[in-house]
Amino acid sequence: MTAYLLRRGGQSVVVIIGVMILTFILLHMEPGSVARSVLGLKATPARVAIFDKDYGLNKPLYQQFILYVKQLFQGNFGISYQLQQPVASLIAQRLPRDAILLGLSTLLALVIGVPTGIYQALRHNLLADDLLAGTWFTLYSAPDFMEALLLIALLCVQFHILPPAFPGGVTSVAGLFENWPALILPVAVLSINSVAGFSQYARSTALQTLAEDYIRVARAKGLPERLVVTRHVLRNSLLPVITILGLSLPDIVAGAVIAEAVFNFPGMGLLFWQSALAHDYPVMLGGTLIIGVATVIGNLAADVAYSVLDPRIRYGST
Amino acid sequence: MRRVLAVAGMLALTVAAAACGGTPAKVGSGSATHGKMVRGGTVTVAEPSGASPNDIFPLEPATNSNGYNTNLTMGEWPFLVYVGYGSKSVVNPQESLYSSLTWSHNDSVITIVLKPWKWSDGAPVTSRDFTFVYNLLKANYNDWLGYNPGLFPEDVTKVATPNAHTVVITLNRSYNPAFYTDDELAFVPLLPQHAWDRTSLTGKVGNYDETTAGAKAVWNFLQKQGSDMATFDTSPLWKVVDGPWKLASFQSDGYYVWVPNKNYSGPDKPVLSKVIFTPFTTDAAEMDTLRSGTSLSVAGLPLNDVGQIGELESEGYAVASVPTPGVAEIVPNLWNPVNGPLLRQLYIRQVLEYLINRKQIVTQAFHGYADPGNGPVPVTYGQQWASPLEKAGGPYPYSPSKAAALLRAHGWKVVPNGTDTCLRPGTAAADCGAGITAGEKLQFQLLYASGSSYFDQMNAAIQTSEAQDGVKIVLKAEPFNTLVATTGTCNAQSHPKSTCNWQLQQFGYVPYSLDPSGAGIFNTDAINNYGGYSEPKMDQLINATEYGSSPSAFYAYEDYAAQQLPWLWLPNQDSVVVYRKNLAGVVPASPFDFTLNPEVWYYTSSAK
Amino acid sequence: MAAPETVPEPAGQAAGPGVPGGAPVPEAGQVTATSGGTQLTFRAFASSKRAMSGAAIIVAMGLFCYVGPLLYRTNQVAVNLGIANNPPGPGHPLGTDQYGIDILGRLMTGGQSSLELGFAVGIASTLVGMLYGAVSGMAGGVIDAFLMRIVDTLLAVPTFILLIIVASMFSLSLQVIILILTVLSWPYTARLIRGQALALRPREFVQASRGMGATGRRILFRHMVPNTLGVSVVTATFAVADSVYALSALSFLGIGPPPPFTDWGTMLTNGVNNLFNGYWWQVYPPLIVLVLVIVAFRQIGDALNDVVSGTRTDVARRRRRFSLLPLSTRPDLGAD
Repeated sequence: MTAYLLRRGGQSVVVIIGVMILTFILLHMEPGSVARSVLGLKATPARVAIFDKDYGLNKPLYQQFILYVKQLFQGNFGISYQLQQPVASLIAQRLPRDAILLGLSTLLALVIGVPTGIYQALRHNLLADDLLAGTWFTLYSAPDFMEALLLIALLCVQFHILPPAFPGGVTSVAGLFENWPALILPVAVLSINSVAGFSQYARSTALQTLAEDYIRVARAKGLPERLVVTRHVLRNSLLPVITILGLSLPDIVAGAVIAEAVFNFPGMGLLFWQSALAHDYPVMLGGTLIIGVATVIGNLAADVAYSVLDPRIRYGST
Repeated sequence: MRRVLAVAGMLALTVAAAACGGTPAKVGSGSATHGKMVRGGTVTVAEPSGASPNDIFPLEPATNSNGYNTNLTMGEWPFLVYVGYGSKSVVNPQESLYSSLTWSHNDSVITIVLKPWKWSDGAPVTSRDFTFVYNLLKANYNDWLGYNPGLFPEDVTKVATPNAHTVVITLNRSYNPAFYTDDELAFVPLLPQHAWDRTSLTGKVGNYDETTAGAKAVWNFLQKQGSDMATFDTSPLWKVVDGPWKLASFQSDGYYVWVPNKNYSGPDKPVLSKVIFTPFTTDAAEMDTLRSGTSLSVAGLPLNDVGQIGELESEGYAVASVPTPGVAEIVPNLWNPVNGPLLRQLYIRQVLEYLINRKQIVTQAFHGYADPGNGPVPVTYGQQWASPLEKAGGPYPYSPSKAAALLRAHGWKVVPNGTDTCLRPGTAAADCGAGITAGEKLQFQLLYASGSSYFDQMNAAIQTSEAQDGVKIVLKAEPFNTLVATTGTCNAQSHPKSTCNWQLQQFGYVPYSLDPSGAGIFNTDAINNYGGYSEPKMDQLINATEYGSSPSAFYAYEDYAAQQLPWLWLPNQDSVVVYRKNLAGVVPASPFDFTLNPEVWYYTSSAK
Repeated sequence: MAAPETVPEPAGQAAGPGVPGGAPVPEAGQVTATSGGTQLTFRAFASSKRAMSGAAIIVAMGLFCYVGPLLYRTNQVAVNLGIANNPPGPGHPLGTDQYGIDILGRLMTGGQSSLELGFAVGIASTLVGMLYGAVSGMAGGVIDAFLMRIVDTLLAVPTFILLIIVASMFSLSLQVIILILTVLSWPYTARLIRGQALALRPREFVQASRGMGATGRRILFRHMVPNTLGVSVVTATFAVADSVYALSALSFLGIGPPPPFTDWGTMLTNGVNNLFNGYWWQVYPPLIVLVLVIVAFRQIGDALNDVVSGTRTDVARRRRRFSLLPLSTRPDLGAD
């Protein structure tokens, strides 16, 4: 296993470098001048030239990349062109909040989705199955912001039960938890999407497992249904769920643009989106780096989890 | 079917939300709240989405075009000339920093007598503070956001301070006093030389600004400090203010709190004990908070939501609308490689303008909350500048028949809902015009900033109404930053293909200072002259408004510009604001200090 | 445990039940199907009520969207602000939207875009992802590592930049969007399928097939694909929903195709902005058709899964027409 992890570690570094290069190239393919985008309409050619010189934008691409990597190794993620703040501090402010928001919603989705999916499989093609599937798919098909707005309309505007948005000025993680009523709606809305995924994948794998002959034999041998489910079905159903969890890790650091926009949650998603529009390269590169790291870690963790779940999966030395 | 049940549940939720609506009549500029004044209280103001300040040094650097920094700084370091007196668009003598301002020597010398105000640390506000600002700007104006080429401080030949409260500025030529006072001096604050004239936090204060090198050093130091958001509320520099407010706390997400400056010398001393500015990521989040009846006292209302004014009023809010100072436009690129020659013809621009149904756009897209866009000058405020021609509707009211006639008179084949083609190329009076070939199509691409449903509606409507007479408009929407990044200023001398491919662009409006002069916009090679319009008569008329004070000069420029269509005039939306019914002082307000003057707000003990 | 090896590749043909058009080739100990593969699947499919109801909805939607405009003509291009946001009334049974365009007509033309988008992206990205993932999971070792690292890279690249670049360089048309969304969706599917394939690879029936000299391709199509079909089908259903949603998100963020283009997701986005203004006719209709179509897809996919993997339970639970597991090999019962 350690050999495997080391090998994967090496591969991950290669992947991350690949991602950075790809992103760098893509960024510079964005048409238009960064300087004009940041300086606005009144940018004179003189100011544009100064901007380009200050940020090294008139150097050839590979030189800019090397410079960026050098800075990275010194721990300097650069300064956001638009917000005029160090990228590292921007990310450090927003990432923990997103991690909590999305972490909670993924957890909630998992806790609701997997058991429901297995239950659906056990009640395959009966009313419960159809009803649940219909509910999940309806909730999944309706766009995030619509569900969010509807919930707000009902719970905040009509009946003042919950706050509709996060209060401004709360920048610390502790503050986040202090204002926990404001977390309820965003977490709920975000988990709605994931529940459908977790439950349907769990259901489909559970169905397959339940059709296997050894289940029939286990039941014939008198194994209680509860044990059939937990010992056999659950384990197998977790496989795709693990994959999705691993694939969700990058989402946790990438933020959720819609939820952030509707619930007044300045997070990574909005930062990323606004920076993409504003040609704010340092922020985009810093964010991509973080997401790249999260992606490889997420997939690595998923792969390791497979072999834990299913001892027959081994990664060998080839 | 069973899954329909789930759908039905969703619909039930929708009913709850959709149970309101209806479009009430347009609200005006609000009537003043009456009642007994209550001292103290906290007001929470919603910052518009994306509007967080990130620089606290009042002389913003050219690299920081965030307009909301001024919201933060002007309450603490007001400008020499304060614009907005009640609901009137005029200079406010009470909040301005001078007691008299006189022009002499053929309008080339300004004598300013400063009021005997004090800084918050007790030191007096003196003329030295003005020369401090002047010295800093003189050495660094290329790096100053507020710099207009050829104007302050470039056009100042001498600044003298005969005594501690008098400043005498000598300019290099005569100016129109109203123009200069309203548009230039209205952006010059006074800064505390005795506290800020230094090059490091621990270093001593000196007269560094008196040398160019020193002024640059002080400028760089102050700019660096000014962008360090973590120290906005703690740095000793920013605690020295002469305005009614000072900063009690500032968070990096844009949330900040003002408390009264106890040593404010002006007459409008704050009554409230705290003003909180809280940021919102989007309009939707702000609207939801408003409608949930929680903490907001003052918030902007997106025009899309004017249908909910009734609901808001029943929740204890009042609503007021105020025009936005500026002009909204479609800018034609007279030098684009494809149809520049078409746009250079005045009659083509006239056709384009005749086919825009501005009245319908105002009622439908802006729900009535917009200036009609009759010309370069708004007619909904500042009646002293709107000419009779503009007040009467401008030279080009909506008229498809006039547009068609104009086209035929210049040799075009008019194909309604098709594309017109040129039948008579040539340069005679009845021909299409120079550079236009036979069979050339009357087709333009309109590039506009996406993300605003009003723009989407407006431009889609324009596309349809232009098509009536065969003018084909192809729409392309781009995020604003992309639009700015890919388009540049184009004129006769310089129109590089990389940035001058655009044909028509629409991105919002260009803001006006108090005096809505065309200087810097429509004169040749002006900084805001994106489309390259150039006409000697226009330059001459603009000069007359900038340098002379003949009262008819302004109308002459205005009517000429309205008729010449360097830009296609569009309606410009108003600002609509929602505020607590028992909060007095928010209205009446002028377009220039609307919601920017909490020092005159106070709670009343009984709501009317 | 033996380390997994890459599968040798002797010549051979992939065939068998579950693969459309293939004649059944019995393997040792297998219960043979009683009729041809395609007919079997189709008949089984046709007798499933759920599948048929799902298919009926899709067909009805197709007719509504493509034939409807021929019968109910409206002007979907001209903007008429004068009648914008009108509630249902004479001439406009479902009212008008913010451009003054008839909503019922818009549902039809928008539906064309949504159905095309959903189908194309859903099927294309699932097929590509399924093949890629199955090959990767089956191959194992270095090939698996390499292929998955490519997937990692693609997953990590921020999609925003790509979208903005493409949106600024070309005017986004439906075809371009289908292409982009497919490119962006398949890595996700690939990873899911590869996970399943990894779990299947050490299973005895695969080992047994190999032992009998089956080619990689045969194992792929005969065992991997059918057994991962469950997950694939679920993925395809989600891919359909995701693609429609992605397009509406593009419009929400301001980089979608310009008017007069529309689709159900975009209609919903625009309608939701007017939710509080009470314009319910802009919200319900697109929502209902969207949900119906997606749920219908899900029903079809579910039925397909049932038929192919033999887990039909509405036909006597115990009776199966064919099996994918050779009877002669069984996992050790009760061992795990």
